[in-house]
Amino acid sequence: MRMLKSVLMLLAAIAMLSGTAFAAGKKIVVATDATWPPMEMVDKEKKIVGFDIDFLGEVAKAAGFTVEFKNTAWDGIFAGVESGQYDAIISSVTITPERQKKYDFSMPYIDAGQILIVPKAEKGVKLADMKGKKVGAQIGTTGAMEVKKVKGVELKTYDEVGLAFEDMAAGRISGVVCDEPTAIIYALQKAEYKDKFKIVGKPFTKEAYGIVVKKGNKELVELLNKGIKAVKAKKTDVALKKKWLK
Amino acid sequence: MTFKEPTKQKVDVGDGAAIPTKSDRGLFTAWRFAFVGAIGALAYLAWSKPDPYLEIIRFVPDGIAVTFKVTVGAILLALVFGLITGLGRISSNRFFNGLASLYVEVIRGIPLLVQIFYIYYALGRFVKIPDLFSAIIAMAVCYGAYMGEVFRAGIQSIPKGQMEAALSLGMTREQAMGHVILPQAFKVVLPPVGNEFIALLKDSSLVSILAVADLLRRGREYASESFTYFETYTVIALIYLIITLFFSKLIGIMEERINEER
Repeated sequence: MRMLKSVLMLLAAIAMLSGTAFAAGKKIVVATDATWPPMEMVDKEKKIVGFDIDFLGEVAKAAGFTVEFKNTAWDGIFAGVESGQYDAIISSVTITPERQKKYDFSMPYIDAGQILIVPKAEKGVKLADMKGKKVGAQIGTTGAMEVKKVKGVELKTYDEVGLAFEDMAAGRISGVVCDEPTAIIYALQKAEYKDKFKIVGKPFTKEAYGIVVKKGNKELVELLNKGIKAVKAKKTDVALKKKWLK
Repeated sequence: MTFKEPTKQKVDVGDGAAIPTKSDRGLFTAWRFAFVGAIGALAYLAWSKPDPYLEIIRFVPDGIAVTFKVTVGAILLALVFGLITGLGRISSNRFFNGLASLYVEVIRGIPLLVQIFYIYYALGRFVKIPDLFSAIIAMAVCYGAYMGEVFRAGIQSIPKGQMEAALSLGMTREQAMGHVILPQAFKVVLPPVGNEFIALLKDSSLVSILAVADLLRRGREYASESFTYFETYTVIALIYLIITLFFSKLIGIMEERINEER
């Protein structure tokens, strides 16, 4: 009898823990690949920080839920939301038709674009000038897809964009394509790269970031959109842009 | 004085790659089951669901070529490193011996993944070497230490009396090593070297973190754009399995031949 009681109590505890309704004050688990400064990164205190992190914090405040971040490698980050390891992804994810087929997105929350970074000695000014050369990008990013589109340019994919910059510093590749805010951090602000790299031209794509949720999770999309609208109405996102994107 | 002939020693430095032995012969050996099963599964998947399975199979062949290049390049270089290290480990020259032992100790104490990262980016700091070659060097430095131990054990498995006999015939130590000991030691180390080859083939998947477009990297690239993670890794695992089983059989046959010759 005592056995039965403890089993029932255990079951009740599990049921409580695994309730998934997004009621007000509900905690949602959000994955981010914190290797993409200034949008998401790990600071000296090992805390995940960045524009996306602050922004989602504001969204949560406005829509009445709490967020728990989970630092996840980019390669496979989409698989995790599908298998339910976390509820959402905020990780500078560009909304693309291919991704929309497999996942649902919140409304766009910020605009961005891809840009090319090259060593100072490089003469090319756009991606098409890089024919016959190797250009790096992070695996599975819109940057990698853009490089792939240009015939004659060899794409090299990296697990983290920082590794691509390190390989360019070593002379193994002749260019890196990534989102503009991240490019600025690596090419203009990092002490060891500042004298070696330059950004060429303007962003050559127009993209918008969205928050990814599992296909069919309308409840969460609505909750996120409600929060994003509120944050935009208060212009908090403008203040955050000033704080993180220079 | 009685001279004691040591019993025939077998060098066994394994990675767990099951190399079939004679006793395994039969229609339903585990090897046959796995090999035919893997090929069958791959063919069935490609036939029954061409999208995405056939697409994945079409996407990865250049990755298989890179995997082979890395494996063969690294094993050849590791053999050179290993032979030097093995000779160093049994050398009476203190400096040479100490250096070889230090190399083995350091390499064995660092995880392979960390070493590959380290050597690859450390090389990039000082010299300009193409990425594929850097990856090969990184793998070879790691495996050279293990190979050194294989060679050391192989050389030490040759009875001491042989060296003594060669010396008493008037050969120098170097001549004795080159003409008498090493030719015999090579036969002893061939099976464990084969074993290391298979281990290296599998570990070569680690170079995919260096953006070297090997089999695993190609698979990851496909998965990251099509979001078919499960399907892609199923195919990648099956291809690795087929390749590994094929080579383990080949090495098994080679080992049998050598044993027959003895």
